[in-house]
Amino acid sequence: MSPETITFTLNGQPARLEIEPDTPLLWVLRDELAMNGTKFGCGRGLCGACTVHLEGSPIRSCSLPISAVAGKAVTTIEGLSSAGDHPLQKAWVAENAPQCGYCQSGQIMSAAALLAARPNPTDADINAYMSGNICRCGTYPRIRKAIKRAAAEMAAAAVATWEPGQDADAAEVLS
Amino acid sequence: MTLSRRQFIRNASVAGGALTIGFSLSGCSEQQLPKQNAADFQPDSYLRVTPDGQVIAQIFKAEMGQGVLTGILSVLAEELEMEPASMRYEMAPPHPAFGDPEMIMQVTGGSNSIRLYYDTLRTVGATAREMLITAAVQQTGTPASELYAEAGRVRSRDSRVDLGYGELVATANTLAVPENPPLKQAADFKVIGRQNDRLDAQAKVDGTAVFGSDAPVENALVAVVLRCPHAEGSCGGWDASEAQQLPGVEDIFQIDGGIAVVARNYWRARKAAEAVSTNWQTGEAPLQSSEDIDVAFAAALEGDEFEVVREDGELPAEAGARTLSVEYNAPFVAHATMEPQTATAQPMADGGIEVWVGNQAPDVAQAYAAKGFGVGRDQAIIHNTFLGGGFGRRAAADNVYEVAQIVARVQQPVKLVWSREDDMRHDFYRPVMKARLRASLAESGDVESYTHQIVAPSINQKIMPHFLNAAMPAWVPHGVKSAIGNMQADTDHASVEGVADTSYQFPHFLVQYTNLQTVMPLGYWRSVGHSQNAFVIESFVDEMAHAAGRDPVEFRRAHLPENSRHRVVLDKVAAMANWEQPAAGRYLGVAVHESFYSVVAEVAEVSMEDGRPKLEKVYCAIDCGIAVNPDIVRAQMESGIIFGLTAALKGKITVKDGAVEQSNFHDYQMLRMSETPEIEVAIIDSQAAPTGVGEPGTPPAAPALANALFAATGKRQRDLPLQLA
Repeated sequence: MSPETITFTLNGQPARLEIEPDTPLLWVLRDELAMNGTKFGCGRGLCGACTVHLEGSPIRSCSLPISAVAGKAVTTIEGLSSAGDHPLQKAWVAENAPQCGYCQSGQIMSAAALLAARPNPTDADINAYMSGNICRCGTYPRIRKAIKRAAAEMAAAAVATWEPGQDADAAEVLS
Repeated sequence: MTLSRRQFIRNASVAGGALTIGFSLSGCSEQQLPKQNAADFQPDSYLRVTPDGQVIAQIFKAEMGQGVLTGILSVLAEELEMEPASMRYEMAPPHPAFGDPEMIMQVTGGSNSIRLYYDTLRTVGATAREMLITAAVQQTGTPASELYAEAGRVRSRDSRVDLGYGELVATANTLAVPENPPLKQAADFKVIGRQNDRLDAQAKVDGTAVFGSDAPVENALVAVVLRCPHAEGSCGGWDASEAQQLPGVEDIFQIDGGIAVVARNYWRARKAAEAVSTNWQTGEAPLQSSEDIDVAFAAALEGDEFEVVREDGELPAEAGARTLSVEYNAPFVAHATMEPQTATAQPMADGGIEVWVGNQAPDVAQAYAAKGFGVGRDQAIIHNTFLGGGFGRRAAADNVYEVAQIVARVQQPVKLVWSREDDMRHDFYRPVMKARLRASLAESGDVESYTHQIVAPSINQKIMPHFLNAAMPAWVPHGVKSAIGNMQADTDHASVEGVADTSYQFPHFLVQYTNLQTVMPLGYWRSVGHSQNAFVIESFVDEMAHAAGRDPVEFRRAHLPENSRHRVVLDKVAAMANWEQPAAGRYLGVAVHESFYSVVAEVAEVSMEDGRPKLEKVYCAIDCGIAVNPDIVRAQMESGIIFGLTAALKGKITVKDGAVEQSNFHDYQMLRMSETPEIEVAIIDSQAAPTGVGEPGTPPAAPALANALFAATGKRQRDLPLQLA
């Protein structure tokens, strides 16, 4: 397969490279762009370690050819927040969630997509969204707590920045 | 600094609470301290203080999630009178100073890091603190009685002295090391027992934590290796002419252990590897299929090849009121660390090799790097990274041997990446095991006789050659090598641990063992022999309790010593789980087990949904002595329980023609979040010395669940994995 020029947006910055179009996004990130926060776990979309966002939706980068990314926006763990301080990242630290840490980039990216879709998730929502991400260290109970903590913080932040009459949508976050 | 002073602490290790000189490290007295820097104050191998005030600890144990990094910093910081978070750390290189007093090599395992090094690290911290205070006496003329250490500074009570540790480095470097620095009283602890935050958490949530394939090496090629799928098989030929033509491929060649495919990136290497045709041959070893293994193990159970591992009392002349005779089975299981085996390496200008790898035994890794690259061990540098899970898998250095051979050929930086399939099929597995249990109970239900026969392959016999043939550190005295080699000839304690050393008291107690090898490679799997043996003994004790018509908690207490830690954790977990009166529709199962000097009791709580059992909750009580980092102890119990439950419900590796039949997470499944029960952990308050934490949570998980399933369904399951149907 011959290399092609692929352009996409990576963490808000333009990316452009010559690459065989069947190359999965994961290996473009890791081997071509030295973005090592996204991890390889299974290569078949079974474990979630390689989860990133494509146009805001969680995808398994080990199984997505770079040709499918052309012209689109990718967010990785490096781009989730400017200083590693997304409410989920802070909550993960506060709950002592990581152990070996290898799966956590993927866990956090899945959780971020969950909170974007469901700002106040139920246990069933969390189970449904997070059960595609394997953790061998058994950090699941703490991930659950961390997601709830982050959701609460984000809801509180929405209240704190809300002025009556200014932004009706913010109030809906609480409902 | 004088040589003798350095040697003193470098060789210091602690046995039984007293500072003693460790075993002789012949030939290493000329060696520099790890990361030695003449400008720094470095009283020993574990710690240095830079003139600009950084206090840097050597993390000489592998951080694989168990939290040892935080533990080491916490204990040092306590005596150094500073915040653990204000310390810095470096992953330690292989160094004789870090040879484990029990395991000789620089191994992280056996849940022993804090147990063995608690007093040593306190002494190291106290030594540095006292020397820095003495340095302040010399620099300021203030008497020592007026000075104290606080927040990483030496201060005087009248506030006239307030010097950062860095300002005292030059003077401290001229001082003699005090022989018996005073250690703090437990009542004065500010960190030990209070430090809960993991100190490696931030790097593990922002993607910056470095694992073996994340090494900061530019322009690395990527290698994959094709290995013979048949254990102890061979390669009867291979053809890469087609693969060689594929884009991005740099080189394809044979190494010891497989065929290496090197390409510009992982994807190109993997695609090329798929295009290599191979002719793998099975080996000659016996027992190459799961069916044959089961038949042979059943025959061994009927045979008379058993050796007596332990026998107390005498077999009663007559059988008791009730007798039991049952058989238990456990399959091979894989480690399946989230990070498949990886390593990065590059040639150095001086002819040596530099390797980045997350490994539980960096001196073994160093030896294999040297062997693979064809240089002496002093020309192999190991940078130990974070480990993406260890669980015993990363005590081996097969990946390092591979990457070193590949770099020797291509003479460029290389990242070696195993696929999940490689990792699943080329593990060092937890052994298969078959056991027969017999018991005779008195009219009262008390045990009169208990017999536990185990047929299992010896782990040490299989894995020791991996360490001994090439990798046993050169500095290990010859006698020690012999002693370790002899472990192959004697009973492998790993096969009988948790049974032969149980605290249960039975009038007649017999443990027998037969070592029966199969073709499969074996290794240490979180809690090792305890993981299967606790399942068997704690399930069977439950069977005996039910046969006797007695309460399983009461029955256990009755056969455990008075005032034992076992009774304490049992009572605690029974109270937590409301054992006497479980909630309506909830069924409880209990297990208690000692491993790695800690005692853990767990209760599994099961409900029935549409005739199917569902695991709702696990209660856990642990006595681990002083809990240095209580929340990390809780996290390790959660981790060990989920690891144990995963194997109990899903773990089964099968083999055909010496080849593993499973390949990835679809056919070797892991517990998912939706299947994970709530877990509640209690730590028994203790002032005893710290004991193991990384592994002891695992052994009771499977039997607690099996016993709860019996309570819920009336069906006794004696084969792992357990069925929830």
